[in-house]
Amino acid sequence: MGHIAIVTDSTADIPEELAERHNIHVVPNILVIDGRSLEDGRGISRQEFYASLPNMKAFPSTATASSGTYQHLYGRLFQEGFEQIISIHAASLLSGIFNAASLAAQAFGECVHVIDSHYVTLGLGFQALAAAEAALHESLESILALIEDVRRRVRVVAMLDTLEYVRRSGRVSWARAHLGELLQIKPLVEIRSGKVFRLGEERTRRKGIERLLRHLRDLGKLERLAILHTNAEDEALRILGELRSDLPAQSFCVNVTPIIGAHVGPNGLGFAAVIR
Amino acid sequence: MKPQRVKTIRQLPIDGQALKRLIEAGLTWLRTNQQTVNSLNVFPVPDGDTGTNMVLTMQAAMDEISNSHETNFGKMAHSVAHGALMGARGNSGVILSQLWRGFARAVDHQEILDSALLAHGFALARDTAYKGVVRPVEGTILTVSKDIAAAAEKAEKYAIDPFDVLDEVVKEADLSVQRTPDLLAVLKEAGVVDAGGKGLFYILDGMLRFANGLPLDTALTTVQPLAAMTFENSLEAIEPGQDFEVVVDFQPANSLDLESFYSQLQEMGTSIQVGEGEGIYRMHIHVPTEKLYEPINYTRSLGTITKVSIENLIAQMEALGASKGSGGLTLAPVEPGQIAVVAVSPGSGISRVFASLGVAAIVEGGQTMNPSTQEIINAFENLPTDQVIILPNNKNIILAAQAAAGLTVKKVAVVPSRTIPQGLAAMMRLAPDNEFDEVVQEMTEALDSVESGEITTATRSVEIDGVAVQEGQTIALHNGQLVLAANSVEEACLGLLEKAHADHFELVTMFYGTDMPKTEVNRIADIVRDAYPEQEVEIQEGGQPHYQFIIAIE
Repeated sequence: MGHIAIVTDSTADIPEELAERHNIHVVPNILVIDGRSLEDGRGISRQEFYASLPNMKAFPSTATASSGTYQHLYGRLFQEGFEQIISIHAASLLSGIFNAASLAAQAFGECVHVIDSHYVTLGLGFQALAAAEAALHESLESILALIEDVRRRVRVVAMLDTLEYVRRSGRVSWARAHLGELLQIKPLVEIRSGKVFRLGEERTRRKGIERLLRHLRDLGKLERLAILHTNAEDEALRILGELRSDLPAQSFCVNVTPIIGAHVGPNGLGFAAVIR
Repeated sequence: MKPQRVKTIRQLPIDGQALKRLIEAGLTWLRTNQQTVNSLNVFPVPDGDTGTNMVLTMQAAMDEISNSHETNFGKMAHSVAHGALMGARGNSGVILSQLWRGFARAVDHQEILDSALLAHGFALARDTAYKGVVRPVEGTILTVSKDIAAAAEKAEKYAIDPFDVLDEVVKEADLSVQRTPDLLAVLKEAGVVDAGGKGLFYILDGMLRFANGLPLDTALTTVQPLAAMTFENSLEAIEPGQDFEVVVDFQPANSLDLESFYSQLQEMGTSIQVGEGEGIYRMHIHVPTEKLYEPINYTRSLGTITKVSIENLIAQMEALGASKGSGGLTLAPVEPGQIAVVAVSPGSGISRVFASLGVAAIVEGGQTMNPSTQEIINAFENLPTDQVIILPNNKNIILAAQAAAGLTVKKVAVVPSRTIPQGLAAMMRLAPDNEFDEVVQEMTEALDSVESGEITTATRSVEIDGVAVQEGQTIALHNGQLVLAANSVEEACLGLLEKAHADHFELVTMFYGTDMPKTEVNRIADIVRDAYPEQEVEIQEGGQPHYQFIIAIE
């Protein structure tokens, strides 16, 4: 066991077996459906969540794990013998997770390094994965430098199947400003520096996916790739299949966490990629 | 314009003030013949009227100099060119403004115009106009400018004064206009001469008539084809004495003496138009309230009235003012450094959709009312960013948009959308925070990602591209090309969708126009949905005039 522990939260979307293999500690966020609080990943599967989302009476809400949860985890990791903790989280502009973790870290002085990844889902996950891979043999300084290096090379782009959810969530100012007169519209968005930017729209799903793939191909050679989806696994696998010859060693499909997907809605597609 | 004045203008040196009077004469004569130029429409669609566009462009030039006491000919010419450029509407207006620009350059700082200078002016006018168009087409106003430049060069050698040159120029302009159908097949097919060339002829001819003491304000009696008559009341422009619009259809008992008919009508009102088709004459006039029944009584004295229509223009104008006030449109806020898009839109529903896609400013206009260069500039000049993209959304507005782009310190690009669906497709690619050139390229590439359909009523009978059209039939245009004529709107819609291979696409969006009742829209939507069960069919209020449907297929 190395002396540096890597902590992240469930918005990182790291597949369970990868998190286990690299000994990444994932703190689940909280999902509130019809008044019931659930830990992300428990009580309702992602497939079930997206299938029932359009029919939910109230818009599901999300919450961060408490500062106490983080403090408890950090304490346990130090007890287990870790000397340093790197705790890396969802963009602070989009979520309160970073704040909750920072608050908890204060109890441990210089030993917990809380990092704002400026991304969500695998945009964050790939930074955590790179850190975990290096944690076994690299110094704290070089791991922190590596995280920054990956962050500079990561790109997250998504196509929403509808404007409805992002507008209802009220988190994105342009989605409120533009009232979406057209019924059929597939917005494309990019997460950059913790903000959601509008890349434009397409009128049909086929064109939306084509455009998504164009954005992906424009990136050139990749180091890591995740095809992100919200219950659109068939299409995600098809995209992965089409890219077969160009795929980097680490590539997989992820049904995105409901914590983020609640704001995206079902049938969204996207990617998180690290440029080589 | 009395004979002694003739001697004056032909004898006096032609300075800045003389140019002003010549411009006024050219404008007046063009306006008198505006409807004739308007009726030279190739396509049987309610289109941007060339005559109106050229008059408004010349009017802007006149406005620029009307209070000027400048005596320097060159300086006055530059003012004319500036005014024309700012007021340029439609492709013909923009080319006209380019002609003036070239002319002004040729006479830079010259106190007085002489024959050699005039010939040089026509030559530079021709060069500048040709350069202003990406792909010059022969058989248009450009060809006329070339022919008259050649005529001027020849005439200048033996001319005693510039009017000798102008004599030859006007003769050649007339001949050149008559030759345009030999150079441009669509003109020959439609049986018309080029409208822009004809407009240029009237401007020059007006100057010459003024010099020769001929009247400018009485129209040579013109009769248009009945279906080509469009009474587009630009309501803001209604002047006192234009309280009512009266349109009378009648069958004259004897053959109609147009000269006296016109002169009688001129006693009663303004905006006179006369149309004829299959023995029926249609008379259009604007009259003050107290003369409301005079044109009707007068026409009755000439024959049998078949139909009378009276509209209260004042009330219409007030209603329009009210609807404009309440029609709230939420436009995208723009931050400094972001890219702002200005879109030209022909209807309120289409404007709303453009706004919802993030357009920062809307310029009202389209097929029948082409916005001026100045109107386009006004739309973006006050936006808090210096990166602007213009979507003209009409082939006849592209040049004015490009002229606007060249007249500002802001970084402005025109994405040359020729239809509303193309403009919407381009708008989808707007990423306001991305790099300007990339976004322009992306948006330009998007233009071909959608098929455009337009459904309208034929304004006259014609055969184009092998499609025979009867006036009054519903016609369909696919990507700007006339593809079919039908006897109902639904038949035209279905025919268009078939021609466009809608079954190979996913989504059909139909923007319905102001003259489509909602029940009729729903009925046609159901028919289209039945015919295309695999495709999504979306119905949107477009609010555009003259076009029953504008259709995006993608």
